[in-house]
Amino acid sequence: MAKNKLDWQTGDANDGRAPLSLENVHVAYNTRRGKVRAIRGVTLDLHAGESLALIGESGSGKSTLGLAIVRLLPDTAETAPGVITYRRNGREVDVLQLKPGELREFRWSECAMVFQAALNAFNPVLKVWAQALDTAKAHGWHDKDAVRRRLVELLEFVQLDPKRVIDAYPHELSGGMRQRVLIALSLLLNPQILILDEPTTALDIITQRTIIKLLRELKEDQGFTMIFISHDLAIAAELADRVATMYAGRVVELGASDDIFYRPRHPYTLGLIRAVPTVTGGFEQLFSIPGSPPDLVDLPKGCKFHPRCAFATERCKQEEPELEEVGPGHTAACWHWHEVEAELRRNPLHRGALNLTDVIAVDVEVA
Amino acid sequence: MTTTATTSEPFSSAQAASTPTPLRRITQNFYVRRIAKALFTIWIVITIIFFLIRLLPGNPVEQYIARLIETQGMDYENARSQAAALFAIDLDAPLWKQYFDYLVNLLQGNLGVSLTSPGTSVASIIARFLPWTLFSVGIGLILSFTVGILLGLMMAYRREGVLDHTLTIFASVVSSIPNYLIGILLVVWLGVQWKVLPIAQMRGTMSPGVTPSFSLAFLQDALFHAFLPITTYVLTTMGTWMLSMKGSTVGTLGEDFVTVARARGLKDWRITTAYVGRNAALPLFTQLTIAIGFVVGGSFLIETLFQYQGIGYVLSGAIAQRDYPVMQGVFLVITVSVILANLLADFLYGWLDPRIKVG
Repeated sequence: MAKNKLDWQTGDANDGRAPLSLENVHVAYNTRRGKVRAIRGVTLDLHAGESLALIGESGSGKSTLGLAIVRLLPDTAETAPGVITYRRNGREVDVLQLKPGELREFRWSECAMVFQAALNAFNPVLKVWAQALDTAKAHGWHDKDAVRRRLVELLEFVQLDPKRVIDAYPHELSGGMRQRVLIALSLLLNPQILILDEPTTALDIITQRTIIKLLRELKEDQGFTMIFISHDLAIAAELADRVATMYAGRVVELGASDDIFYRPRHPYTLGLIRAVPTVTGGFEQLFSIPGSPPDLVDLPKGCKFHPRCAFATERCKQEEPELEEVGPGHTAACWHWHEVEAELRRNPLHRGALNLTDVIAVDVEVA
Repeated sequence: MTTTATTSEPFSSAQAASTPTPLRRITQNFYVRRIAKALFTIWIVITIIFFLIRLLPGNPVEQYIARLIETQGMDYENARSQAAALFAIDLDAPLWKQYFDYLVNLLQGNLGVSLTSPGTSVASIIARFLPWTLFSVGIGLILSFTVGILLGLMMAYRREGVLDHTLTIFASVVSSIPNYLIGILLVVWLGVQWKVLPIAQMRGTMSPGVTPSFSLAFLQDALFHAFLPITTYVLTTMGTWMLSMKGSTVGTLGEDFVTVARARGLKDWRITTAYVGRNAALPLFTQLTIAIGFVVGGSFLIETLFQYQGIGYVLSGAIAQRDYPVMQGVFLVITVSVILANLLADFLYGWLDPRIKVG
């Protein structure tokens, strides 16, 4: 493996401060129906070398949050109030205040994003090499030989044959190959942060394993700082150090991966975990969360989850809970988290997330 | 265009199993097959044209007789004998024999001789008039395509803005007015009412005394005379390019690779040209090559209107006098130009869009 030759960036030059801090970030889309409040006050720190998973249903705001960090939201989106602080080598900037030129330089060289639909992530009329060179040139890197050497290294790292891939057109590569090329390309400029938006969705299970193995290497061996957006809890459990559950544009629970999957304190997180089938199990009852995510134009009063929540009381209909400490480094936004704890003592998660990931995580050897 | 590439797929894969003989390899070659198809199409079209123009009421001899009676007051018998002496064509021969003769002559490269100006070969008429049409139509199309595509791109980037709305109205209006009406309006407004252009001097393809040569003076003169036809072609075709390009660009802007290109921090100019523009313009190239054929065919009214002696001008004269060989020759030119343009589109497309495999 070529990985040892790579000059990986470790984000230690920030005096222990988080490379990325989100403070009270809001995002709203202006539509004909009114304001779609996709993100409502998210505060998060992304620590150096950690990988943070954002989980939640479709429409919970996790992808919007990812896009907001690199400011790729459509023009109809409004990002105020809120501050996204990015730090590198002792300098810090508010990403939301960057001017167009600065923003362009920030993208990919500081914070790269791997997208869900990698199938169409590449310009169909340009070869992989041309697109890599485009990326390098846009950031002032004009040494073709150096770019090529770097790209070859990265393609080897993602287990692709550089000779075959570098001069190929995107349509000549399979979906899994394209996703790996995109991951390789995302590392081209040595960014400090990597955002992965559903990087394994739409890929077959074998290809998923390859990608996950790759991301695990990035995380464990290279200590990459990553934000991992997924609705697949098994993959989140496998890759994340910390997990943030999102619901209706807010983080409703945040904690270490083990805390979230073994000791969830928010009814929504619990519901998500219980809704996942296990591969070996299958005879156990699966629980689905009743109802559907709320209308983001017309949000219910109080806790946004209360219409779907088994623990809901009158208080939940009136007051929206803030995140509160429920354990060391573990916060949840629920008035009744003690009851969730009690419920878990009565009905433990027999085949919780760990069993599930253990089963799936058996490494599949990929040719 | 794309279908030709995909339909050839099963053949070539079946072929790969056994070693193809040299003959087989030639017949399976994409270019050879495509050209064979083009020749076949040309044959079909000239056959149809041959019979269609003979279905027109009246024939050259009768047209000529009628003219003699009308202008010189001859009686029918006299006029007929004079006409028979003049026309070397045997219009009484069975149609199939005329058709057969025509094909044999055509295969020998002989397009025949004009009926109304005896002794002038159709080939020489075409050689004399076609360059002017290609010149004016070519410049008109290139201009309208480039400007139309650029404007369409701008409209897509500023959609729903003032520029977009204004240009959309402009494009819809000009592309819905027939080209000869636009031509007439140009003459009336620019030439007669506002007297901006010396319409009388602009007639024809070049000024008296000027001879074709590779000089700036000649080019200037040629452009001066072609100005009105070119303007008409540009005005009538540009709207379509603008609207097509706008639609295509709006679609491309929504593609994931454009978002990813932004995420990669590429410069706006690079994204607009190589990522959005190039992909959005792809489907328009096919339309462009088809348009070449149509404009050559459509030059008929415009050239007559502006007295611009190109191939369309010749055609209108030939139709009036039922000059069969000239009509056949001109229609052949139009057919060949449409088919050549399509052929070009097929060959070019594989180069423009790597997803389409040619060969």
